Amino acid sequence: MAKTRQSWGSKLGIILAVAGSAVGLGNFLRFPVQAAQNGGGAFMIPYFVSFLLLGIPLMWIEWTLGRFGGGFEHGTGPGIFHSMWKKNRFIKYFGVIGIFGPIVIFIYYTYIESWLLGYTFFSLTGKYSSATTPEAMKSFLTGYQGLVKNEYFGGLGTAYTFFLITFILNITVVYYGIKGGIEKLCNWAMPVLFVCGTLLAIMVLTLGTPDITKPDWNLKNGLGFLWNPDFSKLLSGKVWMAAAGQIFFTLSVGIGVILTYASYLKKQDDVVLSGLTAATTNEFAEVILGGSIVIPAAFIFFGPENIIPIAQSGSFNLGFVTMPLIFGKIPFGIIFATLWFLLLFLAGITSSVSLAQPAVAFLEDEFNLARSESVGIFAVVCFVLCQPAIFFLGNGVVDELDFWGGTFCLVLFGTIEAILFSWVFGIDKAWDEMHIGADIKIPKFYKFIIKYITPLFLILILVFWFVQEGMPVILMKNVTAENLNFVILTRILLAGLFLLIAFLVKIAWNRKREVIR
Amino acid sequence: MNFSGWIFLSVSWLFIITLMFFCAIKIFKGGKK
Repeated sequence: MAKTRQSWGSKLGIILAVAGSAVGLGNFLRFPVQAAQNGGGAFMIPYFVSFLLLGIPLMWIEWTLGRFGGGFEHGTGPGIFHSMWKKNRFIKYFGVIGIFGPIVIFIYYTYIESWLLGYTFFSLTGKYSSATTPEAMKSFLTGYQGLVKNEYFGGLGTAYTFFLITFILNITVVYYGIKGGIEKLCNWAMPVLFVCGTLLAIMVLTLGTPDITKPDWNLKNGLGFLWNPDFSKLLSGKVWMAAAGQIFFTLSVGIGVILTYASYLKKQDDVVLSGLTAATTNEFAEVILGGSIVIPAAFIFFGPENIIPIAQSGSFNLGFVTMPLIFGKIPFGIIFATLWFLLLFLAGITSSVSLAQPAVAFLEDEFNLARSESVGIFAVVCFVLCQPAIFFLGNGVVDELDFWGGTFCLVLFGTIEAILFSWVFGIDKAWDEMHIGADIKIPKFYKFIIKYITPLFLILILVFWFVQEGMPVILMKNVTAENLNFVILTRILLAGLFLLIAFLVKIAWNRKREVIR
Repeated sequence: MNFSGWIFLSVSWLFIITLMFFCAIKIFKGGKK
């Protein structure tokens, strides 16, 4: 017997869920670093241009495609692409990327998310309070990750316990479904996240000059490091690509999760205003909150000489080393440190549950499995796949997963979606489809943007990124000899997973054909 | 922070806050429907 597809409980529910999927660690750790390194305030010019020409159109495309596919009882790439281009037998296999990518990201993201839960606990209990230097804090982190045995940790036991808790939490939320699990989680987690972010931003913005012996280490100069514009950077194509890339990754477009979330909408539900609101909510978290916490705080406490190396030290170093050290130097540091890691954990879990949903929806929609069965299969497969990311963290496994799942698939899938939407489905039909039940009308010039500018922009990013960053990784130029076998094995594993999903798509469609006969 | 920095910060914040207000008003009014 055919099952009734799940649906969202309210409009605000799906907006918060999509915003929750988009708001992640990158909003608070990647954006400020990108802005500071690529022209400061001037970075906001290509950033907002990309937001208007790439981010918002892709949001609308994915929301519309998802709702369209949901009308045919399809919630993932293969079914949605097939519904749009029924004559093409192969298009459904391109849709596999929209299931494969989220699973790959889920594999390592859940583990990183569990560190945040662990650090929330450590902040409350003061476990790292004795680590007062960057070296000691790094040692605490590497000890926790199981990379070394030291005075803080004797092995992976603690990290693995927090991973199990995080993994079970994720699976439980997905098990309770769209309305009872994901929507409920996002309805309370997102407001809490914004309260935590606002309190932290207020704390940083009221720091002034905490050390009067160092008058230059103040808030005004900290904000200046991030916002003073360097217009010469605007002449660099790399800066424009960095801005476009930041917009692309921050909005969670090109992954496949928005397709799945929007597939649970009803035919007459609005997608235009909802998509715009979700994108804007993400921007609030990124530019206003994300831009007010890490970099200004690091400048105030580490000074102008150290801010550049800190900004270049990477997201993990900023989040897990620099920030705890800062909290150690301020009044009520324990509370603010807890708020910081709780904020990141909530940003993480609202994203990771969205990454789980496409695979679960695929099993439910295309194999008519019950939700409990689909979630059970997903949980077992992902639990096994998570293990290499945990035990071989230091061997380049996570970087490899991030490259294929979190970068390559995103850009490729986004480009396919944009071309399919405007050129195969047809922009006139697509425009009408977008406006079904729309609460606001999209300005007419966006028809031109969606048809020409967005796909071109995406192709440009794809080519530029492929040449600049993709090729060296694909050719394993930066892989050390000791990590080579781990990287090759990870690639074999990923290729196997992709082929398995493609094979499942073939089986599902063969079964459907037999039923029709 | 120099004057240009303040301008970029203010315009960016204002742009996002205006968009948020626009969306919030439309959502709570229920749009044109």
